[in-house]
Amino acid sequence: MTEYLIRRIIQSVVVLFLITLVTFGLIHAAPGGPTQIFLSPGLSQEAAKIQAHNLGLDRPVYIQYIRWLGDLLQGDLGYTFKNHIPVGKILWPTVGNTIVLMGAAWILSLVIAIPWGIYNSTVEYGFSDQTASFISYVGFAMPTFWFGILLQELFSLRLDWLPLSDMWTMGKEGNLGDLFMHLILPVTVLTLGFLASYVKYARASMLEVLEQDYIRTARAKGVKETRVVFRHALRNALIPIITVLGLDLSILVGGAALTENVFNWPGMGRLFVEMAMSREYSVLMAITIVVAVMVVVGNLIADILYAIVDPRVQLGRRGGNLS
Amino acid sequence: MIAGCSSSNSGGGNTNESTNTSTGTTNTSTTTEPPAAAANEPVDGGTLTVSTFSDIVNVNPIFVQDTASGDAGYFLYSNIYDFDRQGNVAVEPWSLAAELPQISADGKEYVVKLKNTAKWSDGQPVTAQDVKFTFDTIKNPDAGAPGISLVDKVAQIDVVDDYTVKFTMKQVYAPFLNVLVAAVVPAHILKDVPVKELVSNPYGTDPAKTVTNGPWKWSEWKQKQYISFDADPNYWGEKKPHISKIIYKIYADQNTEVQALMKGDVDLTQAIPVTQVEAVKNKGGINVILQPGPQYEYLGFNFKADNFPDKFVPFTGQKTRQAIAYAINRQGMVDNVLKGTGKLMNAPFLPGSWADPADSVVNYDYNVEQAKKLLAEDGWVAGEDGILAKDGHRFSFELQYNSGNSRREQVSAIIQQNLKDVGIEVKPKAIDFSSWVEQNLTPGKYEAILLAWSLNNPDPDGESTFSSKYFPPNGQNQGFYKNEKLDQLWVDGYSTVDQEARKKVYAEVGKEISTDLPYVFLYQYGLPEGIGSRVNYAEEDAPEPTLPYGYFFHIINWWVK
Repeated sequence: MTEYLIRRIIQSVVVLFLITLVTFGLIHAAPGGPTQIFLSPGLSQEAAKIQAHNLGLDRPVYIQYIRWLGDLLQGDLGYTFKNHIPVGKILWPTVGNTIVLMGAAWILSLVIAIPWGIYNSTVEYGFSDQTASFISYVGFAMPTFWFGILLQELFSLRLDWLPLSDMWTMGKEGNLGDLFMHLILPVTVLTLGFLASYVKYARASMLEVLEQDYIRTARAKGVKETRVVFRHALRNALIPIITVLGLDLSILVGGAALTENVFNWPGMGRLFVEMAMSREYSVLMAITIVVAVMVVVGNLIADILYAIVDPRVQLGRRGGNLS
Repeated sequence: MIAGCSSSNSGGGNTNESTNTSTGTTNTSTTTEPPAAAANEPVDGGTLTVSTFSDIVNVNPIFVQDTASGDAGYFLYSNIYDFDRQGNVAVEPWSLAAELPQISADGKEYVVKLKNTAKWSDGQPVTAQDVKFTFDTIKNPDAGAPGISLVDKVAQIDVVDDYTVKFTMKQVYAPFLNVLVAAVVPAHILKDVPVKELVSNPYGTDPAKTVTNGPWKWSEWKQKQYISFDADPNYWGEKKPHISKIIYKIYADQNTEVQALMKGDVDLTQAIPVTQVEAVKNKGGINVILQPGPQYEYLGFNFKADNFPDKFVPFTGQKTRQAIAYAINRQGMVDNVLKGTGKLMNAPFLPGSWADPADSVVNYDYNVEQAKKLLAEDGWVAGEDGILAKDGHRFSFELQYNSGNSRREQVSAIIQQNLKDVGIEVKPKAIDFSSWVEQNLTPGKYEAILLAWSLNNPDPDGESTFSSKYFPPNGQNQGFYKNEKLDQLWVDGYSTVDQEARKKVYAEVGKEISTDLPYVFLYQYGLPEGIGSRVNYAEEDAPEPTLPYGYFFHIINWWVK
């Protein structure tokens, strides 16, 4: 297990390095730089040039990359070009805010989806199953921003039950009750999106397990159905679900830019969109790194959990041929 | 310096992507009725919440370039001079200057006298040194200040005494008076900072380190969320602000902003997309000001042969350009796209301003027959595919504009259809704003563009936009338009400080430019402002959309209930 972990960690570092290389190249290949946004066309091109020089933006891309990577390794995410504010100062609060929003939606959807999916696998094509399918279709098909606007119109503008947008009411920062009220609408929108896939995964995974020989054997031996489901089947059915959840960990920080925009949630998705517009490379790179790290860590956690839930995985891995 | 609007926000239906110029004029007509409660006596206290869709960048007046930072500066800094409602330079109780500048008989010296009562928020006096330091820094290329081109005609700045400063110009340059409607920075805080490092100095981005001299102090900046300003208890002015706190709240886009206005979460929104104006009005309790602002949109031609296949410029003929102006249904755009929030224009002077040449310009009514006639006279003949051709070249061009701007999307489609009706093929092309600026606008690489100028101050001087002295990369004449008569007229226009004499020159400019048409001037347009019922002001303090930052006109006198 230790050897396996070390190997995976080394792999992850290499992957992260490649990600930074590719994204840095791509971002800098896109036309339009930060000083172009900062200065209006023609007003003062000389000012733009001087600013670009003062900020080191006129150097070759590879030198900019090496400097950036060097700073990153020392834990320095750099400064914004426009006003020289430390990237971390802008970025970290938004990461926290996104985790609050996405985490709430993620946990809520798991709490609903897994039991529901499992139940549906035992009552295939029943009313509950049909309802879940319907919700899945709606969840997949309905644009989140549109659903969000509908909810705002109804519950906030017309009925005035819930706040329209933002994370806190001005002056009530830190009040958990206030945060809860602000979470309801965006979490509803996001949960619908998550539910759609999770219920289906849970159901499909459980169904697959329930068709296995050992379940049939258990049933034949006269084991009670609840015991078959919860004792024998559940553990195995969870394995593919855990994989999906591990991969989805990155969603927690990657955020949902559209939902954050509609609800004016001060999160990382919204920040990314805004920074992409103004070509703030240092912030964009920092966000990319945070998300990449989460993806890699999520994968790692999924693999570890996988090994814990299903000991066969470890054995296979020792052999080095399961991937 | 006064910043213009150069937002790159793509949200909402009516984002104000435009570029800046120091040309222009102001509108003398007044705005709408103040809210009903205006008859009440002002009360002190309360919070005004203003919405915006972009965060500030840097409030240091030397580097202010974006609208949001300029808005913040409006609360934080006193200007040397201010504009009155007609766009004249004026001394207000909240201006730093004690009187209007004394201009020497030859028009080359401006002596500015400051009030000796003005103080920085750290208690230090505002002095002539601060004025000199600010303008010297803007002039210094190492600072990279965006306003450098506004002060390039200043030869020297001298401190006469603690409260008197003298500007000596290289030549007579009338628009300079408007340049003095500007905030200054505290020399005692910044004089030892190397000029190259000023832009990255925390002054202007850290509330605790930004010493200001306006009615409100900067208390907090929560990036991408809000900025708050508290009335400065030690503000030096005789007139104190009534509103004790201003919150400048940042929304993800204009649609979210408008919803918050309707919900009552914010009291003032500077830009309601025209598509949502009706919904806001129907909500009730919100005063919507529709008067157009200091910006105009145009169809710009390029005259540089390198930009065209076979180096054939289809716009060379004056009659051809006039034909295009006749072929475009501009009134239809104002009625249907702008929903009445715009005014037709034929020259780069805002309608109703002192320099507006009114009847002396050529007006192009929508007239398809006239357009066809002029095109024929200029030698264009319909080809087999119905598209006009001359000397073996089809009349077809690419019309660039920025993506995400729904107003321009609609207008470009109308232009495409209108010109197709007279046999011209238009290929609209939407490009991301940032890329567009870098790759096309700055170097002047395009065939035709749909763009707007947002006028930084009410002066009508347009040399940097239209004179052949200012071809890229040195200036804003991105279409490489050359007209020697106009080149000289712009110089005549700013070479006297006598307004009547200037007015005659601009009448001449209006006539020439509307005949020759480097642009098809489309319309002056507005960003409808929404004001909630909590906000009160007397009629003389009502917002004045035609001025820069006019949506906060005289905000020191407003009050909230």
